Amino acid sequence: MVSRMKRQFDPILLWQIAVGVLLLGGWELVGWLSGGVWTSRPTLIAAKLAQWFQGSIYINIATTLTEVITGLLLGSAAGVLAGLVLGRSPVAAGIMRPIIVAFYSIPLVALAPLFIMFFGLDMLPKIVLTTIVVFFLLFFNTFAGATSVDDDLIAQVELMGSTGVEKFRKVVAPACMVWIIGGIRTALPYALVAATTGEMLAARRGLGFLLSDAASQFDMTSLYSALFILMLLGLAVAEAANWGERYLLRWRHAAG
Amino acid sequence: MPRVELANVNKTFVTRDREVQALQPTDLTVEAQEFVALVGPSGCGKSTILNMIAGLLQPSGGVVRYDGAPVEGVNRQVGYMTQKDTLLPWRSAADNIRISLELKCRAVPRRASDARVAQMIDLVGLGGFERHYPAELSGGMRKRVALARTLIYEPETLLMDEPFGALDAQLKLLMLDQLQELTQQRRMTVVFVTHDLGEAITLADRVVVFSARPGRIRAIRPVNMPRPRDVFRIRFTEEFAHLHEALWDELKDEVARGTDV
Repeated sequence: MVSRMKRQFDPILLWQIAVGVLLLGGWELVGWLSGGVWTSRPTLIAAKLAQWFQGSIYINIATTLTEVITGLLLGSAAGVLAGLVLGRSPVAAGIMRPIIVAFYSIPLVALAPLFIMFFGLDMLPKIVLTTIVVFFLLFFNTFAGATSVDDDLIAQVELMGSTGVEKFRKVVAPACMVWIIGGIRTALPYALVAATTGEMLAARRGLGFLLSDAASQFDMTSLYSALFILMLLGLAVAEAANWGERYLLRWRHAAG
Repeated sequence: MPRVELANVNKTFVTRDREVQALQPTDLTVEAQEFVALVGPSGCGKSTILNMIAGLLQPSGGVVRYDGAPVEGVNRQVGYMTQKDTLLPWRSAADNIRISLELKCRAVPRRASDARVAQMIDLVGLGGFERHYPAELSGGMRKRVALARTLIYEPETLLMDEPFGALDAQLKLLMLDQLQELTQQRRMTVVFVTHDLGEAITLADRVVVFSARPGRIRAIRPVNMPRPRDVFRIRFTEEFAHLHEALWDELKDEVARGTDV
């Protein structure tokens, strides 16, 4: 395992700042020279962001986050459960897995229009879409984990007299934790994609709605601002995942 | 009634393209509270016998009985310390040792289990390493954690597959002493697989010598020295030397034949 380098003040950071400043400066210059109709300008975007953060943006961020988090919770719970059960039951897996694979072959965001018709314009269709996307990713990961649990570990607790449930709780589930965490990490950006895609199609609130609304009015500054917030959200979500992984899998990092 | 009985038991493994006979038809009985050591070259079916007593493997022919009843499925009367240490990597040493006490069939309250875990940690000399994860322990330490985990719930019968292979000589003697004391105190029956003749003579009531693969019993020798024995000095006694010689005579051809396995 690669131990993370202690972050000291190093020249890399200086270079990163320099490149960032250069990119933004270049963008500003291009926007300024071309009139900025399509490119907008970093300074305009900053001003727009400042204005949004006076009040109007919070409800949109909250909407998208609610959809993402609810979808993650529901989808993970269902996906992990299905993965564990099918992973440890060859008969059930034989019946269900081809069906699940078939459903997974549908490009899932293509289901968005269907859900909007079913569930309306509010958060529900986006939550359903996010849940389904997350479900599949967690299912396949957990399934792979559950089928690869070391049988010797299971035999040990069986010899000790464990019940079937205990075998699951004490061995199978923790042994799958690496796979589940991996699944959640993969699922996080997809959850964000699913929620915003749903919002872009039809919504009244949310960052995806801001995006499509800005685009329909050729308001490039708002569009880039919304993208910027989505980028921050994506980074925050990934960082949260890192943090959660370090905690839950601390036994793996222990060896160093 | 013997505690463990193998009647005409044999085992053939089927791999992709061929069959390998691991154990020829074998009869063996182990009485309650007896300590039996199985010695023999690698691949002679010793571990296979333990697996069948534990109910993790079914014999290809014959029958394995425990307390007179055929072993069908996992045998919960035995504690099994396998050759590979099967510690749960996400649990600390103490929590690995504790796991059997957490199960519903025992449900030892936390405070009582803490005390017993501390006692076991002490017994196997792992004080200070309670909170280490298996990945942070040496091979010998992991073996001792596995030993403590098997002993803590005091199974009626202990199956041990080269439990002390990874330990240095001094520590091994200490462990043998502890094992002897504990198994006598708790009146456990033990079936013990080892490469080490000295270890076998030191601990066992009977030593069973196996031939090279396909394994069969080549000789059974009683160890006529009263238990408990002084594990630190017994190897300097005359009986020990005689027995060691006699057993080595049985074993040496088999080891020579077994090395090309």
